[in-house]
Amino acid sequence: MGNLMKTEWFKLRNDRSLWVLTGIIIAYAVLQTMMDRLDGGELAQLNDYYQYYALSFNEQIVSYIPCILAGFFITSEYSRGTMKSLASSGNNRTRIYYAKLVMFSVGAIIISITMPVVMTAISTIAGFPGSLDWSYYLQTIGLTILYAAAFASVMAVFSIMFTDSGKTIGFLLLFFMLADTLLGMISSKLAFLKPVHDNSVFQLSKKIIEINQLGGTEVIKVTVVPVVTFLVFGMVGSLIFKHKEIK
Amino acid sequence: MKASILKTDHLSKKYHGKMALDKVEMSIAKGSIYGFIGQNGAGKSTFIRLITGLASPTAGSFELFGQNSEQGLIQARKRIGTIIEGPALYPHMTAAENLEAHRLLKGIPGKECIEKTLKLVGLQDTGRKKAKNFSLGMKQRLGLAIALLGDPEFLILDEPINGLDPMGVIEIRELLKKLNKEHEITMLISSHILSELHLLATHYGIIHEGKLLEQLSAKELNEKCQQYLHIKVDQPNKATTVLEGQLETSEFEVMADGTIKLFAYTDSPGKVSKTLTDEGLILEQFMPMGEELEAYFTNRIGGVQHG
Repeated sequence: MGNLMKTEWFKLRNDRSLWVLTGIIIAYAVLQTMMDRLDGGELAQLNDYYQYYALSFNEQIVSYIPCILAGFFITSEYSRGTMKSLASSGNNRTRIYYAKLVMFSVGAIIISITMPVVMTAISTIAGFPGSLDWSYYLQTIGLTILYAAAFASVMAVFSIMFTDSGKTIGFLLLFFMLADTLLGMISSKLAFLKPVHDNSVFQLSKKIIEINQLGGTEVIKVTVVPVVTFLVFGMVGSLIFKHKEIK
Repeated sequence: MKASILKTDHLSKKYHGKMALDKVEMSIAKGSIYGFIGQNGAGKSTFIRLITGLASPTAGSFELFGQNSEQGLIQARKRIGTIIEGPALYPHMTAAENLEAHRLLKGIPGKECIEKTLKLVGLQDTGRKKAKNFSLGMKQRLGLAIALLGDPEFLILDEPINGLDPMGVIEIRELLKKLNKEHEITMLISSHILSELHLLATHYGIIHEGKLLEQLSAKELNEKCQQYLHIKVDQPNKATTVLEGQLETSEFEVMADGTIKLFAYTDSPGKVSKTLTDEGLILEQFMPMGEELEAYFTNRIGGVQHG
């Protein structure tokens, strides 16, 4: 497993798509913060800026941008033929999948925390008033990491099924745009699905921003669901990959 | 008899109701270079995909390094190097980076093997050039370098000289020969061109429409394909004296029935027949025999076909 993890880490570090996406997010975060600083209006408090600008916009990034990485980092292994090398390397397929999933999740996490981290850093340097609520900041960053990994596990399942990175990216973007709405519509007709929808990562990820207003049970739910999602989708993906014929 | 590296038992694979591989029984001895010949779509790649674990057999089984359990096969695959349907490369990485990714995957300690392997395939001077900018031949060499990383005992190479220029073909052929001779690496090399394998293989397997039609050694194939003049005369003993004396050749064989196989002068049979008749011998039978390699192959698979 160690060899596989080292290999995937090496590939992730050398994955141009990860650094291009991260670079774009950094550039946007810096520009947006500087424009907000220089627009002449009243400056938001540092903590409010983090909560209502950085975090709220980051919701979209967490669920959409890693879809692009999934296409390049996972699915393109098929089109390049390198999946054959991996699968015939004398390693267990389940381990290959988990190594891939873990490192893809690391990539998704890097993408997902870039915006809040950079916007906070720039807004602090640029002299936004007030101080940061570190407890809230670390809680939300921690939850962003958990939800990024949970979404990554869902993305990885589809990425391992498709063999064309373009199809993967297109499908995943559509899926993440529509999944929550569709699940909501279906659960409104089929009552037994309502708890599934209400407690899905799609719904609970919206609560990251209000973590400081949630009660104990809600906090546990918001924390446990992404972990369970990661484990369940990790298992589903590994089973699919184990039985997949690699062409 | 040498131990088998790979042995299959009625290995079969069905795709969409069609047998892509039909009860293949193959045995590859340690130290041999096994030329796996068949037209495109004959089942070569399907066979290789089963052995390398990319697909599962519909029926039958195989042993790799004496292992046939699921876990045993996974472990056995650590001892093989592969090129399957073209070199598997990371296009945005350099040659050295591609090898580094595979070095990590195989858990090979130290980076010295990268330089050594690049030198072995003649890619030591590619520097920062990305694999996507390599020529087809360079990509094939890099694919071979990846397969050779970690000193595998068994190389499985699917069409390894595709895209190489004539010099490249010679270089790779000599390299494979050297690896086989000096390191006793066993090889399974698939190709649809018999002449590519002819100067390399020690054994052959001919596959057609999923069926392994024939397995034979290079010696057996050469015997079958060797050109000779079939001669039957009234006085065989006198004929051999004439061949040695007048035609100055000892490249012939007298068979039990008195016929002579003359392996020399195959391109000038007229000279032979004239010499023999001038010496008063009566030619009862006189005809060129033997098949060209390609003709042998096409006859074996049932005539010229286009796949």
